Amino acid sequence: MFKYLLLPAALLALSLACSSGSEPAAKPLVAATGITYTDPVSTGWRLVKDPASTPTRLLLNLVGPSGLKTRGVGFNLQLPANLKAGNFTESGFPIRDLGVYELFNSDPYPYDGSVVPGSDPLEPKLLAGGMKAGNLLTVGIFQKDRRLSAKDSGVPLCQIALETASLSGLNAGDPLKGLVITKARYVAEDVGAFDVAPTAEMARKARMVDATVALGTLTAR
Amino acid sequence: MTFERSRRLPTLVFALALGAATAWAGTSPRFPAPAQIAFHRSQQTLRAGLAQDHLQARRASLGLGSLEGFRTAAVSTNALGEAIVRLDHTFDGHRVLGSQAVARVPLGGAVEASTDAVLKGVALSGQPLLTPATATAIALRHLAPRGPMEATPRVEQVVFPASFLGGPATVTDPVTGKASLDRHRTVHARMASPYVWAFEVRTRLANKVDGRKELTYHIDARTGAILRVVDEVRHQAVPATATGRGQYSGTVEIPSARMADGTYALYDPTRGTQPNPTLQSFTPDESGWSATGLQTWYEQNDAQGNNTWMSYLFQGNATNAWGDGLPFTAYGDEGGPNGQTMGVDAMHGMAWTWDFFQNVLGRAGMDGKGTSVFAQVGCTGTYSRENAAWSNWDQGMALGTGTPGGPGAFTDFDVIAHEMTHGVTGSTVGFLNTAGFEEAGLDEGTSDFFAQMAKAYAAAGDPYASTLPASGADWTIGAGVFNGTPLRWMNKPSLDLRSPDAWYHGIHYLDGHYSSGVLNRALYYLANGAPADASHPAYSPFLPQGMTGIGYEKTARIWYMAVSEILVSGGSGQLTFLHAREAARRAALYLYGEGSTGWGWDSPASRAVENAFGAVNVGLNYGEAPRTQVRFADFRNADWIERHHADSALGGSRQYFPMGERVRPMAQVLNNANTAVTWTVGGRSLFNGAEQMVHKGGVINADGTWTTPTDLGWFALTATSVADPRQSAEGRAFIVNLDADSDLEQDAVDMGALSYSWYLTNALNPAHSVFNAPWVDDGDVATFTDAVLATWWVR
Repeated sequence: MFKYLLLPAALLALSLACSSGSEPAAKPLVAATGITYTDPVSTGWRLVKDPASTPTRLLLNLVGPSGLKTRGVGFNLQLPANLKAGNFTESGFPIRDLGVYELFNSDPYPYDGSVVPGSDPLEPKLLAGGMKAGNLLTVGIFQKDRRLSAKDSGVPLCQIALETASLSGLNAGDPLKGLVITKARYVAEDVGAFDVAPTAEMARKARMVDATVALGTLTAR
Repeated sequence: MTFERSRRLPTLVFALALGAATAWAGTSPRFPAPAQIAFHRSQQTLRAGLAQDHLQARRASLGLGSLEGFRTAAVSTNALGEAIVRLDHTFDGHRVLGSQAVARVPLGGAVEASTDAVLKGVALSGQPLLTPATATAIALRHLAPRGPMEATPRVEQVVFPASFLGGPATVTDPVTGKASLDRHRTVHARMASPYVWAFEVRTRLANKVDGRKELTYHIDARTGAILRVVDEVRHQAVPATATGRGQYSGTVEIPSARMADGTYALYDPTRGTQPNPTLQSFTPDESGWSATGLQTWYEQNDAQGNNTWMSYLFQGNATNAWGDGLPFTAYGDEGGPNGQTMGVDAMHGMAWTWDFFQNVLGRAGMDGKGTSVFAQVGCTGTYSRENAAWSNWDQGMALGTGTPGGPGAFTDFDVIAHEMTHGVTGSTVGFLNTAGFEEAGLDEGTSDFFAQMAKAYAAAGDPYASTLPASGADWTIGAGVFNGTPLRWMNKPSLDLRSPDAWYHGIHYLDGHYSSGVLNRALYYLANGAPADASHPAYSPFLPQGMTGIGYEKTARIWYMAVSEILVSGGSGQLTFLHAREAARRAALYLYGEGSTGWGWDSPASRAVENAFGAVNVGLNYGEAPRTQVRFADFRNADWIERHHADSALGGSRQYFPMGERVRPMAQVLNNANTAVTWTVGGRSLFNGAEQMVHKGGVINADGTWTTPTDLGWFALTATSVADPRQSAEGRAFIVNLDADSDLEQDAVDMGALSYSWYLTNALNPAHSVFNAPWVDDGDVATFTDAVLATWWVR
């Protein structure tokens, strides 16, 4: 808390120092009413802003390295106190499927051959997320059927929504710090074979791969 | 059956038919008058000749050779005026044993013949080497009469098919009552070919020394071997009345039977005229026993009380006095006087219960078809010793011995009547009796209730009464077995510290023997009324003003109609106590529907039903405003898993949470502005007993949240309305481990681990399952997402 109080004061000091007698007076401070997000400069895993974002609801798409085929990804995102996660009506969770991964069973359901794959919107899918204690957003999207092909990750794979909670004390232009990826993992294309007595190689391939997700910068507006 | 119709119409018969038809015009064409029957009888010989001609003409089509033919064996005229002709199949003029055709010859002479029993392919080699006199001598040597023959044996040369060859014969030992090999009548002969020449020798003995015997022998006409010995005397058990000393029933008269050997059995041939499906697998011997009637059997144990899996009818009693009236202790001698005591109580209860259902409710036996019922007393084993069970498959009961020093034998009246009522509901409404369904309580409650009605019927003492007395039930179950302390109290079920006095949401988790308390109390109220005195044990806070009962008779008829004519389960588990209330109300309006607004709309009886069920929180009292209700929320209401997976025995309202997290269980409060609830861990269903599958754990925090346990499994939670503490709901929380990737954190990233193993039985990593199961399927997927949604929802 001390850090955030100090920051506006420092900006104010800089502003005063740069002024001169012939220059117009510094712009008056304007209380923040929304947020802006500047995409990171990265070709790896990254969260990029979706054009449909609004000043109070920031939509971030997760994009992976082009050419890397994966079967799903999940991450935990620490949010600043000023922000909260938003839900998506269609999923009921704070994560939206952007249609890249195939989330349904590839076969008719084994106990009931009458079900056409993917036809039942209520079929359980590995798409979920929520807010853990400490304003930690956790989300994941994964294919459940290992018989389906892996997908190129260089496109928007899923989307999250960050909404303003309380911007009091923030002025337009103030940076919002504290947006941190604390964990990110994906399922690689090669999930290996399986056996009741797995080899070390099988066990290694049955573990998710850690990913580093680049974040842009958040600024109050 | 194969019938072939003759096209021949003899002129004479046709002429008679025309005349007769004219004369009989105006009478029933199906059943002629007696005088006309006399005419038909006069035509019997003629028609028998027609039948014989018909079959003789069909020999080739029947596969018979030139030496074969038919000979009239018997002819009669049936009620339709048709001649029924039995014809023996003959070979070279001799009868082929057991090979017959039956012909029907109506007016007009069109013969219909059934030839299914005509043996094909009869072939014999050679001619008899024995004379009839030699065969008779062989038979008499076997018969070994000690006194004079009453009549000269009758001898006939016949063709003997191998299918009639005798084998082991059994006889009942009059002392032990056990079946043993009858060496005298057992035949060990072999035949040279499928058909042989034989002499049939019929013998008859009737003198003081030998008694009465009628044995028929078949002697191989070439070897002299005895091929078959048949006792021609038709034995039959004769109904008798026994004196019994029961542990619970005291000294009583009970039905029994005098068997062929003059001894007696706990076998009532007068009740249950259709064979019992299990008993009919036993072949009747010559004792007079058959698979019909009420029967009391005993399990044979060893001296330590271990089951030997052998059962016997109580029989071989020379005096027809049974039992010693003492608690059972004589393991290994279940057929003796001490074991008979259990049989006395069982037969006493069976007969009265049978008569109650038949005479009062018009039901022929448990299944409504008059099928024989048996009781098997003296059962032991971990489950059976201190229990009683009805089997619809067997149409019979298994009744435990109890344990010396503990519960007595499970043969008390209300136990017997309770179990037999399961036979009634098993063949009518078909309740599913499994914890997880409310109708388990309906099943057990129905058995408890009719046990009371049968008890009252028996107490009145008139086995022919068609109505119930006004009193006589004690409204408890199992007091005798448990040394005076009832197993269940119907007027206040909670006295057993297990059963609820009233319905609540989640009662279906209870075993039916406990959830039955709701129906038991409702029917108690309906019959007896409810007190308005709050200090009375039967007082209901849901009906503080009390009510007047409508009596045993009306209550029994209403509830019998509900279960036998209105309610339908079919073993589906779909019925609830609310369905029971509505069925009882409908029955009340149907049977006793007279009210101020006319018939069938509203009557004192239907109001009494509403109040009786309202008093146990099933629906509202007559005219009452909606009550506060509490519902435990169900996370999986009608979702994909519900529709595609078979429900579990612990089905119903469920919520899913991760282990060791602070969560908010959810409950709804209806019909009250104050929706606050008080949460407690656990619930009534924790008391279900040995089959317990639910636990109590975690901590309810001051803010109403629940810190979940760190163990996987089902945990019971109870929510009680703050505004109306009478109303509560019990639900199930399933605690799962979401840390599928084993990084010691439960989060959405864990779902990736599930994806590796989905639908791979015995897959790579069992820990991927949120249930720690050796596979991962949509149950894990749905549960994972349900738990995430319930725990870390976006506020």
